[in-house]
Amino acid sequence: MIEPATSDPRPILAVLLSAVTILLILASHRYPNVRESWSVLAAVGKFAVVVSMLPGVLDGTEYRWSMGEFVAGIEFALRADALGMVFALLASFLWIGTSFYAAGYMRGLDEHSQTRFFAAFAASLSAAIGIAFAENLVTIFLFYELLSVATYPLVAHDETDEARAAGRKYLAYTFLGGGVLVLAGTALVFALSGTVSFSAVAGQGTAAGLGDSSTALARAAFTMLAAGFGVKAALMPLHSWLPDAMVAPTPVSGLLHAVAVVKSGVFGIARLVLDVYEPALVAELGVGIALAAVAAVTLTAASIIALRADRLKRRLAFSTVSQLSYIVLGLGLVGPAAAANAGLENVIKGGLLHIPAHGFMKLTLFFCAGIIHVETHTDYISEMDGIGKRMPLTMLAFAVAAAGMAGIPLVAGFVSKWFLLVGSVSAGQAVFAAVLLVSGVLNIAYFWPIVYGAFFESHDRADSKPLIEGPFGGELFGSAAPAGGTAHTDGGPRTDGAGGDGHEHRQDGEHGKDSHGETHSPDGEHASDHGKDSHSETHGHHGGPGPGGWERVGWTGAEGSWLMLGPILVVVAGAVVLGLVPFQVGFLELIEAVAEDAATGVTA
Amino acid sequence: MSEVVELALALLVVVPVLGATLPLALGLLRDQVGWAVAVAVLAVEAGLAARVAYDLAIEGSRVVHVLGGETFGRKSQELSSGESTEGFAVGIELVGDPLSGLVVALVAGVSLGVLAFARRSGPRGNAFYSGYLLLTGGLMGVALTGDLFNLFVFLEISGLTTYALVASGRSAPSAVAALKYLVLGTTGASMYLIGVGYIFVRTGALNMVDVSETLAGNVEFLDTEGALYGDPLVVAAFGFIAVGLATKAAIFPLHTWQPDAYAEAPDTVTVYISALASTAAAYALARVTWFVFTPAFFDAGAANRRVLEFLLVLAATSVVVGSALAAMQPRVKRMFAYSSVAQFGLIVIGIGVAVHPAAGEQATRFAVYGVGIHLVGHAVIKSGLFATAGALSAATGARRVGEYAGLARERPFLAGGMATLGFALVGVPPTVGFIGKWYVALGAVEAEHWPLVTVIFVSTVLSLLYMARVLEKLYFAGSPDATGEPAEEIAGSPGGAGGAVAADGGDTAESITGESADSDEPVTTDGGGSASLGMMALALTAAVLTVVLGFAGSELSAVLDPVVEAVVDAAPEVNP
Repeated sequence: MIEPATSDPRPILAVLLSAVTILLILASHRYPNVRESWSVLAAVGKFAVVVSMLPGVLDGTEYRWSMGEFVAGIEFALRADALGMVFALLASFLWIGTSFYAAGYMRGLDEHSQTRFFAAFAASLSAAIGIAFAENLVTIFLFYELLSVATYPLVAHDETDEARAAGRKYLAYTFLGGGVLVLAGTALVFALSGTVSFSAVAGQGTAAGLGDSSTALARAAFTMLAAGFGVKAALMPLHSWLPDAMVAPTPVSGLLHAVAVVKSGVFGIARLVLDVYEPALVAELGVGIALAAVAAVTLTAASIIALRADRLKRRLAFSTVSQLSYIVLGLGLVGPAAAANAGLENVIKGGLLHIPAHGFMKLTLFFCAGIIHVETHTDYISEMDGIGKRMPLTMLAFAVAAAGMAGIPLVAGFVSKWFLLVGSVSAGQAVFAAVLLVSGVLNIAYFWPIVYGAFFESHDRADSKPLIEGPFGGELFGSAAPAGGTAHTDGGPRTDGAGGDGHEHRQDGEHGKDSHGETHSPDGEHASDHGKDSHSETHGHHGGPGPGGWERVGWTGAEGSWLMLGPILVVVAGAVVLGLVPFQVGFLELIEAVAEDAATGVTA
Repeated sequence: MSEVVELALALLVVVPVLGATLPLALGLLRDQVGWAVAVAVLAVEAGLAARVAYDLAIEGSRVVHVLGGETFGRKSQELSSGESTEGFAVGIELVGDPLSGLVVALVAGVSLGVLAFARRSGPRGNAFYSGYLLLTGGLMGVALTGDLFNLFVFLEISGLTTYALVASGRSAPSAVAALKYLVLGTTGASMYLIGVGYIFVRTGALNMVDVSETLAGNVEFLDTEGALYGDPLVVAAFGFIAVGLATKAAIFPLHTWQPDAYAEAPDTVTVYISALASTAAAYALARVTWFVFTPAFFDAGAANRRVLEFLLVLAATSVVVGSALAAMQPRVKRMFAYSSVAQFGLIVIGIGVAVHPAAGEQATRFAVYGVGIHLVGHAVIKSGLFATAGALSAATGARRVGEYAGLARERPFLAGGMATLGFALVGVPPTVGFIGKWYVALGAVEAEHWPLVTVIFVSTVLSLLYMARVLEKLYFAGSPDATGEPAEEIAGSPGGAGGAVAADGGDTAESITGESADSDEPVTTDGGGSASLGMMALALTAAVLTVVLGFAGSELSAVLDPVVEAVVDAAPEVNP
């Protein structure tokens, strides 16, 4: 950006709007409709403030607000630049839909502590926008920690043993990532370069000082910051908080753990690669390729684990872990691309465009999972055969979003994947292109059965699902199935792999905990799933279709509350729009500006 | 105008000490007059402190009050060689500089604030308030004195009154805790005194500036032949002084008095001493290390470096062990006491890094900022936590972490305060806990002392270990009845098992209650089931102050800039 930043209160206004809403929500705890309208108003207001800055940012102006010196030599400052606008636009736009959806979901389940829920939600969004607009590492750290604090009540919301355990794990991981690693990296960067500001103008940021310091220390700082942000970005092996956090209510899993929290992690890595170290230094230190390798491993491993998950939200969680690594892969490839001086813009565009693309698609998928839970109390994929009859619009949206995840053209995921593929090949790292293609196949492998089963099978005549039910290693080479049924990794139904009387069998399976004792997947899927089962037991849930199968509901939206259906349709439409006309919706233009900046920095 | 401030320095010590006689004197006329007298005296004290702190901290001046003034105080003497000693003689000064200004403000503020808590919580005797005022005077003296032996005197005054205040719980455990504190505290003070004695033998002076100059070899009329830093007597003196003050600041392994003292003292006393007792000792350690011995001492020989490293190792161990032990405590006050052990470890790390031979100017700068800010910040946070815990205990009788289950629903403001203060303790920005930790960590990073850096950053997660437990219980653990503490079931439940047990006869119920209740705590709720307005006000003010100070990081560090200059230059005094 050539023009200097204009001083403007809008960045802090966007942050504080929902912070003030917290008080209003707490004050109106006795009037649910008033309380929910505060959330909606705040979301709309926030989006309005962010969008009002969009034309200026596209033109090259940056809006800056500063409170002055926060600690010696470091200001508490917010700056709306192109990269920050991408994240801010995504989070604030999706919050509008989520406020309606969350109202419908919480009321549909008659949940407790709704005031605390909505207040924490508002706080989380406040922190997310703060992360988006932070001008330096200390400010981003401040909001990063506040995001951990604000989202914890949402993870532990259910107040069951499982929820509390998930909350503890969440706090441990995010504070380890944030409070320890990011802070250590920030302190090291400050000691090495004398500043923590993201490079707005070449030479004024951290990259210059880091380039002059010892390679070992610069690499150490990069590793700490990447690992610290990587906890929230669910890079393996720091990802295991995310599947456990699925115990949270689905609006939380959707907006926060598919959009705001995890995207703040990848956003932090984006800032790290593009603004703290800058592509040239990343290439010089050789840390980009290491980051890309970690991302590639995460990509593949998470997709494979997702194949096995019978719980829909768990499958979506591992899908999220995998898809986030697309973004980190793109960012990691910045190193080799800068070194080869080819493909840099494409990998950046691919990685960054996946932020909104994945956001829209994954939010749709989670919203679908949530409405299925509210309307039919079904959580397991093996019970969802034929559910297309009962929830046609929902499963249609699910199908579209799933197609996008696999990279099918005309839906959002295709464009970002295309850029990544092209960029990685130009940068001479074709192996990563191969990884991406394999991942696309795996995506189809774990999403297609759900869609197929929903529309083309019925509950009593569904095909078997060997990936979910079969023993590890397959029929030929795998361990013999233990007595009492095949080994399940997530407490799912089906001891015989036959048809839909899985309902009755599942009740037995739940109580026969010994048969599940054999296989423990590393993330303790057992415990969490059993806990959730007992939770649904105590609430008298009965997953799956009734004895007569799914009732047929028309395509007019009678399948559930419009508070939930509406947002689903809007968000999936957004995903399609992003896929059809990516250049018209603002995200890609912003990202192109970021990519051009990075490229000129390299060649200059 | 500086004469006013000069006089005020002395008044800051004298007013509470003289005021301490009033509750006893007026007590002959009427009962229970202590609280009112304390409020009056400490209000005057707060006014004085505000004026003094403004001058010292905001304007950055250095004010000296020579006790005895021109007539009786330090005088120049003519030596046989014809030189003048230029006032180098035994004589006591009170010195105020920006660092002591911060501590003065803290002592005055906390002393007055805790009275809001004490109104309902008690203890109520006149003797208690006499001791309270005497303690305030002693702490002011520690903050302001410029003489090593005078520092010992004030440390002892503070110490003895603290032992008495801890024992005012009037229960067997309080008495044992006070005795433990007395033995360990007096041992520590004696160590300190031995160190001062060695200094006096070697240098012939007791005034901090004079000793510093003599150790540096800068005093012409004394034939010291250069710096005395390498002298074994001087090195031993530092060792004794450091150990003595570390005992008072509760650094591992000299901390064992602190959990008992904090847990068994009455709630009011715990709030007070958690903020100030160890803070004053840590301040004294900083003062002596930075200005009497100066960084030059620690660079002067292998033995000196080893002493410093040893101190740093102890401090780092404190951080780890304190947090680990805190995480194991079921009782809230004990948990917070062990947390103090950890936090003071952090402060002593900062003190050590500031004078470390490997520390450049930037490292010293950040370490000094960190120590100054965390001294004040931790005092606010810890006293706030104890005030909140005391208020919760007065309101609901909850003293164990298990008993906190679901209290957030009943007492949302207190729970919110505890959450804020808890996260401040962990070091989440924008609270003052973050600022102090950030600066100390930055100092260690600049000094490239990687083991210390690791300990400081890992301490975040360690603090989370115990703090998260409390917060999770408060907010996410369901109702208090659900946790099944035997004492509550039997004491409170109307029907079912509890009723049946009671119906069996008083004996059975009592014996069960007696076993399951805390065997070393009287099961009484002081406030009779509610937290007074004063308690809540104190708790919430501390929480708000924590966040407000969290945004004042650059202002606080600006206050400490003169101190930084002095330490970097190895100067004996902070000149404006």
